[in-house]
Amino acid sequence: MNSPESNEDGLRGGVALVTGGSRGIGRAIVQRLAASGMAVHFTYRGNAAAANEVIAANPAGKITAAVVDVRDSAACARFAEQVADRAGRIDLLVNNAGVVRDNPLTALEDEDVRVVLETNVTGVFNMARAVAPYLISQRRGKIINLSSVSGEKGGRGQTNYAASKGAVNAFTKSLAVELAPRGITVNAVAPGVIETEMSRAVRELAGEQILSRILLRRIGQPEEVAHAVWFLASHFANYITGQILNVDGGFKLE
Amino acid sequence: MNNTNITKEDISAIYPKVADIMADALGCDVEKVKPDSSLINDLGAESIDFLDIIFRLERTFKVKIPRGKIVEEARGNLSEAEFETGGVVTPAGVERLKFFLSEVPAERFSSPLKVADIPRLFTTETFCKMAIRQQRATAGTPPA
Repeated sequence: MNSPESNEDGLRGGVALVTGGSRGIGRAIVQRLAASGMAVHFTYRGNAAAANEVIAANPAGKITAAVVDVRDSAACARFAEQVADRAGRIDLLVNNAGVVRDNPLTALEDEDVRVVLETNVTGVFNMARAVAPYLISQRRGKIINLSSVSGEKGGRGQTNYAASKGAVNAFTKSLAVELAPRGITVNAVAPGVIETEMSRAVRELAGEQILSRILLRRIGQPEEVAHAVWFLASHFANYITGQILNVDGGFKLE
Repeated sequence: MNNTNITKEDISAIYPKVADIMADALGCDVEKVKPDSSLINDLGAESIDFLDIIFRLERTFKVKIPRGKIVEEARGNLSEAEFETGGVVTPAGVERLKFFLSEVPAERFSSPLKVADIPRLFTTETFCKMAIRQQRATAGTPPA
């Protein structure tokens, strides 16, 4: 542990896995961790052009990308094993991959419920189960899950998404209990309205009116979420576990 | 699947690696690990340590060890009802366990023996035998 005066975040030379790293918040997280000197191995589902952009934009960073569907537990296990075999260890898992399929409850198709829960919840289980054994063996490591303010506060047209993120919050707290004996911390970051492709529909639907519900009166940037993830990953947060950190500009209930 | 085809030599061959794994997983000196050490009673293993030990064995010996494998194999051809009732191992089940866990000194089998306490019987040698069985299963070697 460095002295409190030091700005070193303790991440240099570490090995990180980030799911859903090609776009949006995931991309910002990959870039932030790489900028701290971590080797970052991220997954993406299908947009190879976007994944290559991330790698090309960070020539100095140690970044690799792999196609992994987080709903496939065997694929998650293979990915974790490949990284561990190549890098020798894993220090950090960021479960970021997620999808939205917003609609009022009665308009939701089976597929809208299934895809959201399988990606946002089962995907987190799959990757955490794949990575946790390495962290347990090392007696160190961190897991950070991307939740959402809607996991706690709910949101119109978001029963499926909010339920999935509520599950992520509960998962985070439970896994923190399980892994604490081995010194592993588990936390979540819960973004509010962030300027990404994924949230565009929500933002367009709500219009300017959404700003009235945000104390800081502006939409957040992906980098602002990435900074919270960086903090929880850094050794500055070594004494924090089982927490949900909201990064939402002060989002209010309706 | 039984014990008869695992010899002392087979166990000796992998014992040093398994003892190292135990010591690393439990954070103790390897000298403290003995072939007949009970992982829980002598070495202070907790449930998370068992997961770590299994994971390390899988990585070291390139095998897959399904969770609950030891108890499942120990039960052998006994049905669940024949093996235990109300969480207590039946006399037939205890006999079967004593055979399967032949490395465990007989006096360690308490009476009555709760199913939840079976892992208390496991010794370093128990895990050596499991690794050998899984290696053979992976290699497709038929039992002798």
